[in-house]
Formats: sequence, structure tokens, C-alpha cells
Amino acid sequence: MSGNNLSFYLSFGVVLIYAAFALFAPIIAPFDPFMISGAPLASPDATHLLGTNDLAQDIFSRLIWGTRATLFLGIVGALISVTLGTVIGIVSGYYGGMVDEIIMRFLDVVMTIPFFPLLLVLTIFFRPGIYTSAVLMGILGSIQGVRIIRSQVLSLAVADFVVATKALGARGSYIMARHILPGILPLVGVKFVFSAQHFMLIGIGLGFLGMGDPGVVDWGQMINRASQNGGVILGLWWWLFPPGLAVTFLSLALAWFGYACEDRINPRIQMMRV
Amino acid sequence: MEKVLLDVRGLKVGFPTMDGQVKASDTVDLRIASRETLALLGETGSGKTVLGMAILRLLQPNTIIEGEIRFLDRDLLTIPEKDMRKMRGKEIAIVLQNSGTSLNPVYTVGTQIAEAISLHQGLKKPAALSRAVELLDAVRIPDPDRMAREYPHQFSGGMRERVLIALALACNPSFLIADEPTKGLDSVTRQQILDLFREINQDRAVLFITHDIDAAAALATRVAVMYAGEFAEIGPAAAVLGHPAHPYTRGLLASLPERGMRAIPGSAPSLITLPEGCRFSPRCTSVSERCTLEHPGLVRVGPGHYARCMLYD
Amino acid sequence: MKLTYILRRLLYSAAAFGTSVIITFFLLHLMPGDYITQYLEQIYAIAPPEVVQMYNQAYGLDRPLTEQFFTYFSGVFHGDWGYSLSYSRPVLEVISEKLFWTLVILLPATFLSIIVGIVIGAYSGWKRGSKVDLALLNGMIFLRAIPSYWLALMILLIFSYYLGIFPLGGYVSLSALDTGIDPIDVLNHAALPIFTLFLFSVTGIYYLMRNSILMTVGEDYIVTARAKGLDELTILRKHAMKNAMLPMVTSVALQCAGMITGSIFVETIFSWPGLGMLTFEALKIRDLPLLQGILLMDTLIVIIANIAADLIYPLIDPRVEVGEDVRK
Repeated sequence: MSGNNLSFYLSFGVVLIYAAFALFAPIIAPFDPFMISGAPLASPDATHLLGTNDLAQDIFSRLIWGTRATLFLGIVGALISVTLGTVIGIVSGYYGGMVDEIIMRFLDVVMTIPFFPLLLVLTIFFRPGIYTSAVLMGILGSIQGVRIIRSQVLSLAVADFVVATKALGARGSYIMARHILPGILPLVGVKFVFSAQHFMLIGIGLGFLGMGDPGVVDWGQMINRASQNGGVILGLWWWLFPPGLAVTFLSLALAWFGYACEDRINPRIQMMRV
Repeated sequence: MEKVLLDVRGLKVGFPTMDGQVKASDTVDLRIASRETLALLGETGSGKTVLGMAILRLLQPNTIIEGEIRFLDRDLLTIPEKDMRKMRGKEIAIVLQNSGTSLNPVYTVGTQIAEAISLHQGLKKPAALSRAVELLDAVRIPDPDRMAREYPHQFSGGMRERVLIALALACNPSFLIADEPTKGLDSVTRQQILDLFREINQDRAVLFITHDIDAAAALATRVAVMYAGEFAEIGPAAAVLGHPAHPYTRGLLASLPERGMRAIPGSAPSLITLPEGCRFSPRCTSVSERCTLEHPGLVRVGPGHYARCMLYD
Repeated sequence: MKLTYILRRLLYSAAAFGTSVIITFFLLHLMPGDYITQYLEQIYAIAPPEVVQMYNQAYGLDRPLTEQFFTYFSGVFHGDWGYSLSYSRPVLEVISEKLFWTLVILLPATFLSIIVGIVIGAYSGWKRGSKVDLALLNGMIFLRAIPSYWLALMILLIFSYYLGIFPLGGYVSLSALDTGIDPIDVLNHAALPIFTLFLFSVTGIYYLMRNSILMTVGEDYIVTARAKGLDELTILRKHAMKNAMLPMVTSVALQCAGMITGSIFVETIFSWPGLGMLTFEALKIRDLPLLQGILLMDTLIVIIANIAADLIYPLIDPRVEVGEDVRK
């Protein structure tokens, strides 16, 4: 995307705004998101900026509170996935040989099982919950990243300075941490941003399918409730649209930010996203 | 006097990069007659491949090219792309470097040669393919009928080189450019390729780009020695290779294994920041103060023999 | 040689499939609070113990774990994938029925997205940096960032609700009760789901193709093609494309998994009675045997796609013999 610096700061700014909403939700939101506060299915007015839902909860407040779940799912999921993927990728790529073979074969088998259906089954298994979802997404999502990280590590592992360090007698873990990790950090950073975007969307998707945490306000669940309880038929756009718009906008901002980061690292390499 | 087929005047080729402009070719003048073979000698990075590519306008779109390249009374640098395409492969053909990667891996060798024939001579596929087989035979590939149906990765290095030559000869061009055809080949294969060229070169003008001095000696009527984007020396092969005038040429010859293998000290300059005065002066053993101040022009040192050196000015 | 390759491939696939069978089995049977109880909780607030007992016996949950496992495992390879709690029918039967309808929208969508994706991706990459390329690239990035469920919802709202061009959902109109299933009617209903799935997957293919062409553009044989005197369009069509399409074949498995995920959302929103919608329903009612079966079917689809890709690849790339592992 053109306009490098502008993209970078603008998109990051948008993300920060969302983060601010998440952080200051209790202060900004006019109502408690679970409280009954008026008539159900009310149209927007001065008190309820976006009207109320079928349980007479204020939609605007729910929208704001929903930012927390969204960001949590995206960030924690990405954190787990990137960390796990990086560790496995580094170990596999650095040691090579039998270790690498075994890990890669194992991953090959696991990768055959489609991510999302597996996630759904596992979510039921562990009972839907926001922490559960984040952890599951993180673990399952790390698998894809391992391949990419590993290939970078492979090329680094035979770099001169690494070989020299080995010749000095440094231990494997030392080399991996001090020499290989910094080399792949830019790659990891970009991956983190795209993963956050991806997991956020999947997390909300879970909510949409009814696999969200019932105790948490979640945009996916909001959309689900809206479409299941007459939002479409009755044309209740103030219920249906805002959560979806909120997700889409954040997703765009994160994607934009990810590309801007990528351009900064290496303007010439076109990497595979996610 | 033979007819001049190619007349290059004042050719400048530059590549804009983040660090500055790479002056791959700086005001080059060159003439090739219709039956002569001019060897363009030089190290990697001297700009010789660029020269060959520039003639066919195969360089990147953002390359800066100035000057004239006259061929058959037309300036190749100003004719429309449509017309240039008609020239390529037909009037002027090039045998590209890196035979390993210069052929499309997913098509058979015969198909790729036939493509050029169909394009310029309008033959249908079967006729073009049988002509391709004839060409493979002409470049001495054994069992050409079967080999035409094989893929590039099934050929050895030397055979691929022959395929590239066959491809270039497909439409019988009057001007052939060969870019490092003997690079990376073992001595036996090298000799075979040179023999092949000896045959081919008789009927056309040839610009033989190489770093291989013995190849130049075997095939060339004239030799041009390129250094840092310009000609250091140019003249009849016997003269340039027999009693070289320019210190660089002398250094090149001295570095041959059979002549003592003495390397020239230092390394070739960057084409972005060139030295003041004579470009070879930092490495020259006969350098004088004048060399570092003035940039020498080509000076006549014998019949048809010129050198760019202060020693003769 | 070909025979040993096929055997090896089958073995490997069987191992992958077998692993997913094992995983799903243990997930199901090691659940905190077994799946029968969870299912019954959807119907009763507190499940009466006799009902639980009855279900347990019927589903063989009172047998030792290892016996259950072997019954299940061998059952899978014999077409017995368990019994659906909510449909009261064999799982495989239910899935096969619904699979048909999913394919009705999935195959056209895949086909369209591959063709369109390849063409515009190639053009975009070839003319990198041009206005068309930048417009397409930014457009695709934008499209890709929109969540699939949101996209489907918007399309439904715009084209069905507000513009009234297409029906609101389902796969046939109510008139089918009288007149039987009319293919035109089905097509009418399928149009939006196919379109949505198409939009969903074309971005991925566009990307892949564009990247692939960008890598092909710098190759030496492209210069050779130019040196022959070929024009740019011909070079793109005949020389670049064929080479650029190779990475696409190897990534087909990834595309497949994405399509499966996409169909869950699309079918749910358009009320299209396929495998995706079945997944949604099974989730709602916690019908775990059915879900397990769906997961196995999804895995099977990906495995078949992989095998197909491995067999097709050597046909396009003459450098690779059938039997080489191209995905390393």
C-alpha cells in the first residue's frame, strides 16, 4: 500500500482507539451491558444511542464492552500462536535431522485436519469460554506458522556468524536465543499482527456460531442474536450493523498496519500472509 | 571493405539505483562488419553483457539509454517496440547466458525452438517442429528427433548450450550475439562449442561476449577489451592478443594459467563511483600522475588498433 | 514405480485419517461430563438418570473404553460413523445427504474463483505497479479483511432484503412442495451463496497467483522468450502462466480447508441445507457424534484434495516424477 508512513501511523492509531475503548469501557459505556435498561427492541434515541436488543440491553454499551473480548481473542491468541510457532520453528530448524523430521511429519498429519472444524469440536469439548477459545486458537494456529519460521531459521542456521559461534563452543539454546531469534524477529512481528487480525475474526466467528463465551459481551454473539431474533426480517439495522462494522473496521486497520510493517521491514519481499 | 552491419555510436547505459546510477556503459562506439566476429572481452561487472542486451533492447524499462545503435540503416533505440520485436530472433539473435535457466522448464526443447520459427516464418507447428529437429542436428545434438521431445532438465550443460545456439539460429539471423557461451563448461565440451561457433560465425556478424581469452583467440577477427564500462583497447585479434597495448589487456593475458597466472592487483571499480581520470589507474603498474587527472580517449596504436591509455597520448 | 507411489500415498493418507479418527474419538470420550449428558442438557434442565442410562446403553458408553475405541475405529472404515443424536439416523447417511448440497454451491464457487483469481492475479502481477494492479491489490486486501460472516450477511441484506433480487434463503421456494424441485429455482437460491463463497476464496487465489507471477517474471527464460521476438501478452500466456500455476496446485489443500470454513458461515446465513449448515445445527444442539463425523468428513475432503494435487502436479511440471514429495 502506498503512502508508507501515513498508513503505518494511521492504522496504528485506529488500533489504539479500539484499545482505548476496551480499556475505558466501564467509564465510556452509559449502561451495564447485561442490565435491562428500558424497552426491548427499541429504536435508537438520546438515551440508547443504538437502541436496545431483545433482552432490553443497551446496544451501544454492549458494542463498547465487546471491544474487550475482540482484542483479547486476537492478541492473546496471536501471542500464544506466535510464541509456540516460533519456539517450535526455531528448535526444528536449528537442530534439523531427526528432530526436524519427526516434528515436521507430525505437523503434516495434524495440518491435514481442517483448522476451524477442529476448533469447533475442541471448543465444545472444553466448553466455550473466552480463555479456552484464545488458547485453542493459539495452539492450533501455531502450526501454520512453524513452517514459515522454520525455513527462515534454516537459512540462518548455516549463516557464517552462527557457525562461528558454534565453533566457539556456545550451547544450542544460547545460539538460538541470542543469534537466531533476533534475525527472525521482524518476521515474527509481522506475523503477530496478521495473526491477531486472523484470530480476532475467528474468535468473533465462534461467537457468531454460538460457540462464544456466554458470560462475555462478544460482537459475534451480538450479530448472531440479531440475525436469529428478527434483526433481518424486522430491519433492525442498528442492532445488526454496528458490531459487524466494528469488526470489519478493526480488521481492516490491523491488515493495513500489518502491510505497513511488512513494507518497512523489506519493501521487496512479498510474503505469504498468515 | 566489408559492409558495416552494426554501428553503435556514443552508447550510454545507466541503471538508477538507491545508491546512485550504475554506469554500465559509458559512451561506447562500436562497428561490426557483416562477416566479422568481434570478441568482447572483460571481467564480470565490466558491462559487456549489458551491451549485448542493450542492442536488443532487452534491458529493464527504467534503464537510461542514450546514443545510437544503427542496424540496417535504422536506429534500434528509436524504432517502435513493434518493429523491434520483428528484429528479435529474426535479424538479430542472442544466445543468452545461464543455459540452465534460460530455457522454460515446462516445454519441450523442440517446442521452444519451433515457437521462434512459427513466429517469424509463419510455419505451422508440424513444419516448424521438423525444422527445429534439423536445427538440433545442425548443432550436432545426437538423435535430434527424440531429443526435440525432451525437456530442458534432461539435457546436460553442453547440450543445453547447443539448444540455445540452435534457438538463436532458428531464423538465420544476420547478426548473432553470444553471451558467455563457454562459461562453466568442461574443456572437452568447451572445445566442441567453439568448433560449432567456428562453423556458424562464417555466415554472419557475431558479437562474441566472453571472459575466456582463448575462445576469443580462436574465433575472433577483432577483439575489444572492456573495463569499467568502456573500451580499454580494440583492434585486430592478432594485434590485441599478440602485442597488447593497454596495461589492463597485458594484465589479463598475464593472468592466464599458461602465461604465469599473475593476477592483476586490486579489484574492478564500482560502476557507481568511478575513479577520476583513467579508470584503470588505481591498479595500473605503469601509472603516472597524468593518469589520475585526465580521462584518456582512444588513441591509435597501430592499423585499426586503439588503446585508451596515457602511455600513447 | 507408480504403484509404490500410490501405495505410499494411500498409506500416508490413511495415517492422517486414522489420526483424526483417534483424536476425535478421545476428545469425545474423555470429555468432562460425557457427550450424552451434554446433549441431554439441551433438552432437559437436569437429565433424569434413567434416560441417561438408556442413552448410554444404546450408544455403548457403558462398555470399556478400549472396546469402544476398536468398535468405533473399525466402524469408521466400514462406513459406520456412529449415530446422530438429533437426527436419529446414522451419521454418515446424514452427512452424505448434506454433502451433496454443499457441493452444489462449493464446486461452482471454487471453479469460478480459480479461473477469475488466476486471470486477474496473473495480470496484476505482470503489470506490477500499474494503476490496475494497485486497484486490484488494494481491493483484494480490503475484501480479504472483511469477515466472511459479515460479508455474507451484507450480501443477503443488500441483494435479498433491500433489492429483492434473490430469495432470502433456503434452497427451494415453498412452491416446491407442490411442483417438486425445479433446477432453475434451486439455481436462483444458489446464486448468492455461490457468489459469496466466490468472493471469499478469490482473494486467496489472486494473491497466490500474483506472487507466483512476480517470481516468474524475473526468470531467465522470460528474457529468452523476449529475445525470440514474442509480444508481452503471448509471453504471459504461454511462458509465465504455466510456471506460475505450479505453486497453486500445491496449496490446494489450504484452499480446501478455507472453503470448508467459509461454507459453514455462508450456508448458515443463507439457510442453505448443506454440510456447513449441518455443522451449525449440530453445534447448537451439541450433537457430538454428528460433529465428530463432520470433522472426519472434512478431513477426508482435505486428504482427497491433497492426493489429487500430488497426482496432478507432475502432469504440469515435467521436472517432477510422480512420487516425489513436492511440498517440501
